[in-house]
Amino acid sequence: MNYKELTVRFCGIAGDGIVSSSRIISGACADAGLHVMVNDIYSAEIRGLGKSTSTIRFSGSKVYSMGDGINALVGLAQQESIDEIEDIREGGSVIYDSSSPADIPETESLASHIPPEVNGYGIPLKTLANQASGSNRGRNIVSMGALCHLYGLPKTIFINQIEKIFKRKGDKVVESNLTAFELGYEYCQNQYPLNNLFVMDKKAKPLQIISGNEAVAHGAMDCGLKFFAGYPITPATKIMEITAKELPKLNGWTIQVEDEIAAIGAVLGASFTGTRAMTATAGPGLSLMSELINLSVMAEISAVIVNVQRGGPATGLPTKVEQGDLNISLYGGAGDSPRVVMAPTCSKDCYTSIQAAFDLAEKYQTPVIFLSDLFLGQRLETDDIKRNINYKKSTRIKPTRQQLKNYQRYALTEDGVSPLIVPGEDGAFYSITGLAHNTAGNPNFESEVHLTMTQKRFRKFKSMVKDLPPVEIIGDADADIGIACWGSTYGAIFEGMQIARHNGVKTKMIKSIMIYPQDEESFKTFFASCKKIIVFEMNFQGQYAALLKSTYNIKPVEVHIPSVDPVSPAKIAAKIMEVNHELTQ
Amino acid sequence: MKCVIIGAGIAGVTAAETIKKINQDIDVVLIGKEQYLPYNRYRLTDYLCNVIDDTQLYFTSFDFFKKNNIKYRNGEYIKSINPAEKTIKYYHNEVMGYDKLLIATGGSQHLGPILKPFSQYIQSYYTLQDILLLKKFLPDIKHCVVYGENLSNLDLLAGLCNLDKKITYIIKGEKARFPLLKEEFEQDVHYFLKNKGIQCITNDKLVNIKKEKKKFTVETLNQKIIKTDIVFAWDDSKPNISLLEGTAIHKKTGILVNQYMETSEQDIFAAGDCAEIYHPILKNYWINFGWPNAREQGEIAGKNIAGEKALYQIHETLTFHLEGKPIKARWWE
Ligand SMILES: Cc1cc2nc3c(=O)[nH]c(=O)nc-3n(C[C@H](O)[C@H](O)[C@H](O)COP(=O)(O)OP(=O)(O)OC[C@H]3O[C@@H](n4cnc5c(N)ncnc54)[C@H](O)[C@@H]3O)c2cc1C
Repeated sequence: MNYKELTVRFCGIAGDGIVSSSRIISGACADAGLHVMVNDIYSAEIRGLGKSTSTIRFSGSKVYSMGDGINALVGLAQQESIDEIEDIREGGSVIYDSSSPADIPETESLASHIPPEVNGYGIPLKTLANQASGSNRGRNIVSMGALCHLYGLPKTIFINQIEKIFKRKGDKVVESNLTAFELGYEYCQNQYPLNNLFVMDKKAKPLQIISGNEAVAHGAMDCGLKFFAGYPITPATKIMEITAKELPKLNGWTIQVEDEIAAIGAVLGASFTGTRAMTATAGPGLSLMSELINLSVMAEISAVIVNVQRGGPATGLPTKVEQGDLNISLYGGAGDSPRVVMAPTCSKDCYTSIQAAFDLAEKYQTPVIFLSDLFLGQRLETDDIKRNINYKKSTRIKPTRQQLKNYQRYALTEDGVSPLIVPGEDGAFYSITGLAHNTAGNPNFESEVHLTMTQKRFRKFKSMVKDLPPVEIIGDADADIGIACWGSTYGAIFEGMQIARHNGVKTKMIKSIMIYPQDEESFKTFFASCKKIIVFEMNFQGQYAALLKSTYNIKPVEVHIPSVDPVSPAKIAAKIMEVNHELTQ
Repeated sequence: MKCVIIGAGIAGVTAAETIKKINQDIDVVLIGKEQYLPYNRYRLTDYLCNVIDDTQLYFTSFDFFKKNNIKYRNGEYIKSINPAEKTIKYYHNEVMGYDKLLIATGGSQHLGPILKPFSQYIQSYYTLQDILLLKKFLPDIKHCVVYGENLSNLDLLAGLCNLDKKITYIIKGEKARFPLLKEEFEQDVHYFLKNKGIQCITNDKLVNIKKEKKKFTVETLNQKIIKTDIVFAWDDSKPNISLLEGTAIHKKTGILVNQYMETSEQDIFAAGDCAEIYHPILKNYWINFGWPNAREQGEIAGKNIAGEKALYQIHETLTFHLEGKPIKARWWE
């Protein structure tokens, strides 16, 4: 059979080299100009030999999601891999180790669970790995050789990648891995001479591969981030790991503090001095930060807070994705506490819109909550990100000489933005506080002043509309069904729309990185053109739908996707078809 | 009760179906070494020559196994049996228990000591994988050397003729002798070979094969040298019974069974090309080879496993009538 796209999953336990296998395959594919998306799933238990999987989808054309099902499963741990079999598509394959020295009971054997529509390939992974390196460690590389033959993938891309990845470990390691790869390839070639063929464009240019977390970190540093404070938490830690390594090279700082309250406190402190500052956390950390985010609102101190969402509430599902933090991001503060909320949909968005987040935060002196999630943050994907180094579209508005004469830190302006100087600068003296204050910044509890200042703070969000990243309308303009979604579910929903279109149902989507504020006119026009609106999101309550309903007075079909590992485009398409059926009845 | 069947050829599949027809409650596991759905082996040549397509090649479907609740484990090889523990062992060391076991592993082409060292240069012609590979290569192949006097050779020769290949057929005697066939039929074969322009090298043997680049050089006992693109060669067909090693199950060339298809070991049966059945008249054991016989033996074994009492009547002569056509009609009439 000929393939233009494949999805391969490695499954094993700690030490099986699951992640390194997928990094080699994804790197090889990206270097060969294929589009790739990689999703790793770990068990929540930190201790012990928990199960982990890494799934790699690669294709000659752009992939927007992990798709539906897998073509091949490499079961490096037999028992743990059994549950993965149900994801294999008809005609798919399972590679398993046939060189187990001990007897395996039928119930624990991976092979015994393979249905007849799926091809099982028993390969002596252990034996061949030992032959290559004298240890069991290269089983993943042996199976990669096997995969390469079974799907007719070009050998050289793997060989180059193995050399590239293991080079720093020395020639011996490179050699034993190359031998392991060859042995797997040859074994399969002899035992299973009939293979599939992966058809690819030999002229395709290499693509860059990046995770959402990496894109956020690099996007932020490229637009002038100089201070990062954080406390490690899954799935956001990677961002701090990167800034810790890279910021010092840019004369910046990363500090790991005792908890998330300290992190946001440090960020506000740094920002107060005029430094571009950011923190990154997950839901539990965001909960802890709420009070100081309120300070950021009240004192009008810029801050970028990245929330890489995971399942909640409380400690929740540390290793599963959910879009459950929209409400806390929008409303999680005492009083009338407006803040910018943004949600990128892919790695490229992560890079460009974290820069937009800084633009908004800096110019409008506001906290920006940047809602990534576990899937988006950790998945690797190829994209054509053009780096914007030293990017600074907006800066803080400084007072004029005239304004400095009687400097009012919270001066009332048309757009709500008061000119700002940092403490220590010549010519100004002011206090800042979380207490209600007057234009000078002095505490004031008069109701009229409070109303005026609240209006000022909200006014910024109206003025901001002209500076927001624009919405995009995707799909068929003449479609009756309109779709709204947010964040990382976008890719699967977009592919679901394509499946539906293939089945004769047209749809269109309003894609907006901005959750709050929004370009309301564009939304109104879009919704007015739809006979039926579907809002897809991955939470139980329908948090985005609630926002849209109250803002635009619409009555959408709400689809609350449960917290799952990547969303299924086929299920999205099925829902679209169902809605279409009702519409055409 | 759990019945395990090793070998997913016609004998094994028929037995599985028969058992399920009699008693749905018996768990049936059918294990086959080949990756594919069970197929009509005797029609492989028709498939090679594009006379039939996939739908006519397979005699089962994934649906068939689902509907009959038969667990089909394809692409899996059984390496040993432990009758004392009532278990079998897979190639990957999985151990599976059974209450009743049917061995229906068929036969395969066998190379004698002279040809064995050249096995890597010899193209076998027995399984669907062989045919699928040939479908890939054959367009580039002009000249074939065939050696061996088996029915599958005859089938192959007919197929290669259909595909207009140049053929050299090395025959041990004066004329090709096909075991089990009547002399009159052999005469027909002889004319067939002549009429089709097959170059026959008689009274000779294949003794050496060399590979140079993509070509092969074949040498005979009488020092004839033939250059060719592909070599098909085997000495005879033998039952696949290596999994019996280490057991006390009685065997000669094949697995010895009585007319109930029972082996010498309790609860273990055998059927099809791997079984040698006691011939009450000849008072000896006999491989009742061929597709229709394997099917019938599978059915009898299935009935007996499911608790009925059925007796296999050995067929005196091999008619090879399939689908209402005599063998000659399938090949060259
Ligand atoms: C080219 C060709 C043409 C033929 N033409 C005719 C014809 O015209 N008329 C006729 O009557 N017969 C013909 N035959 C013979 C006929 O196909 C066989 O007699 C028949 O298939 C035997 O059936 P079986 O079920 O006993 O064995 P098989 O069909 O050989 O099936 C046995 C299966 O068991 C599997 N197996 C073996 N060992 C193991 C193991 N240890 N573990 C798991 N699986 C195992 C094998 O891979 C095989 O798939 C022909 C054969 C060939 C190759």
